[in-house]
Amino acid sequence: MVSVFLKTDELKMLEQVWFPLVITLKIAITSTLLVALIGVIISYLLARRDFRGKWIADVLVTLPLVLPPTVTGYVLVVLLGRNGSLGEILYDITGWTILFTWEAAVIAAFIVSLPLMVKTTTAAIEAVDRDFEYAAFTLGRKELETALFITLPLAKKGILAGTVLSFARAVGEFGATLMVAGNIPGRTNTMSISIYSAFQAGNNELANLLVIILITMSFASMAITAKLVNSWKI
Amino acid sequence: MGIKVDFRKRYYNKKSDKKKGKEASFTLDVQFELGDELVVLFGRSGSGKTTTLQCISGLLEPNGGKIVVNDNVYFDCHKRTNLPVQQRSLGYVFQNYALFPHMDVKKNIAYGLKGWNEVNKEKRVIEMLQLLHIEGLEHNYPSQLSGGQKQRVALARALAPKPDILLLDEPFSALDMVVRMKLREKIKEIQRELRIPVLFITHNHVEAFTIADKVVIFHEGRVQQIGTPEDVFYQPSNRHVAELVGLSNIFEDAIALNVDEAPETLVLECGNLKVITNKPDRIVAEKVSWGIRPENLRILPLTDDAKSRENTFKACVKSVVNKGASKVLALEIAEHKNLLLAEMANQFFEDVDLRTGDECLARIEMSKIVIF
Repeated sequence: MVSVFLKTDELKMLEQVWFPLVITLKIAITSTLLVALIGVIISYLLARRDFRGKWIADVLVTLPLVLPPTVTGYVLVVLLGRNGSLGEILYDITGWTILFTWEAAVIAAFIVSLPLMVKTTTAAIEAVDRDFEYAAFTLGRKELETALFITLPLAKKGILAGTVLSFARAVGEFGATLMVAGNIPGRTNTMSISIYSAFQAGNNELANLLVIILITMSFASMAITAKLVNSWKI
Repeated sequence: MGIKVDFRKRYYNKKSDKKKGKEASFTLDVQFELGDELVVLFGRSGSGKTTTLQCISGLLEPNGGKIVVNDNVYFDCHKRTNLPVQQRSLGYVFQNYALFPHMDVKKNIAYGLKGWNEVNKEKRVIEMLQLLHIEGLEHNYPSQLSGGQKQRVALARALAPKPDILLLDEPFSALDMVVRMKLREKIKEIQRELRIPVLFITHNHVEAFTIADKVVIFHEGRVQQIGTPEDVFYQPSNRHVAELVGLSNIFEDAIALNVDEAPETLVLECGNLKVITNKPDRIVAEKVSWGIRPENLRILPLTDDAKSRENTFKACVKSVVNKGASKVLALEIAEHKNLLLAEMANQFFEDVDLRTGDECLARIEMSKIVIF
């Protein structure tokens, strides 16, 4: 119905803005939920457990933070492609290939934002005084209960900060996403990729609009987090 | 009933040292067997008191030995028994209280009451609030409590699940004198009522003396002496214990000589310093150490005609330190160059009015000499 009142140009513009916005949020939210869940588990293990090869786990998780996104993207393409080790198993089982889908973009966003979550959360958990946990143990509480009801609530500021950073990183992800998910209009053209293609095509009007939306979104998520954290006493 | 402890815990500088079979940098070797009484673990920082408590609680695993509380085996190296902390039924009060900051007082106290139904839980929390006189604070958060109140909540939380043993790690170190005294009494009262072993860490010897039924003295990872406060304060078994209980003036390797004319006395000869003392009931070795508390040195003006009395020496004041209600004087005995510390109440100090460099008489109270 909207189209009745809009010129074709405007309608096209809306599509060019609306779709990247929706796909970006879908990818970023899915990836952030996964990062938050898995990141907290990894962080807890890194902060509180001693195990063989702990330092290797730490380095592996952090690596995407320092690698160029193209390298991360390339490794993912090799792994997830129909001939890649993981991709082949997936194809044999389901007959589906993940490359150039929005799910591939989720994996790329997950890998690049995980280090931000893990670094921030590990530091926050390490900062929780162990006496609180020991006290819970002496009061008959098991480690899992203690982690869920004592340690993590006391590290919540750090966990939230890590989650927001991961979300922001996922929204802004460009290089690895372009390599694993491509730039398929209507399927995988995220905001950051759309800005690049609009700029390449000389469509400054669209690029400006997308840039303003992206900045506003990032600013709002950071501002809301800061407000929330300030309202928490502990 | 009671607690029986005999275990070892070794610490290494590096993890690899243990594998290489190198000697441990610190070894804690603890043995004691005590009843349902209030036991003070007393010693300097780093002597192994907290580690002992952590091994008993199961927060640390000893390298060998056995820990039994009320016939319940907590740890046995040979039988490979190591009861998890959660199953040890103990109350632990931490030095920094460790109250959960995100829970109010009521939730903190109820936290150990897992598996209790709501009615009993509520009842138990109220009982604990009344026992520790903290009614009305149940909806406050730890950040809204004073130090003394926090300590009471920590005690209430530890006692709520009806533990078999109560462990307190320097619980009063951050509290002021008045609150300390009140809480000491409270702990004694609770122990008498519950009749469970209470292990209490402190390095304040006044606290150890006033609160304890038994004192266990630690030094460099070893138990030095176990006894009533009177035992350890008046009959320390060695120099470490003597120093810990405040015998600042210690003379080692003194030769003990019997005096034929006065069989009930003993002369202690240490270099050219000779003092006379009452003969202790027990048999004394030929070579002994002896000590005297600073407050048992009497300071007299030089003009005093008591110069010829026993154990009285001419001394020179080297320094005067004000301790508030008393003064501590460092004295050098003129003939022997030995340095002695004397402590005297302000009102007596005013009478003699000594300054650095002045001379006076120092008398070592014969009956107050401690031989070990």
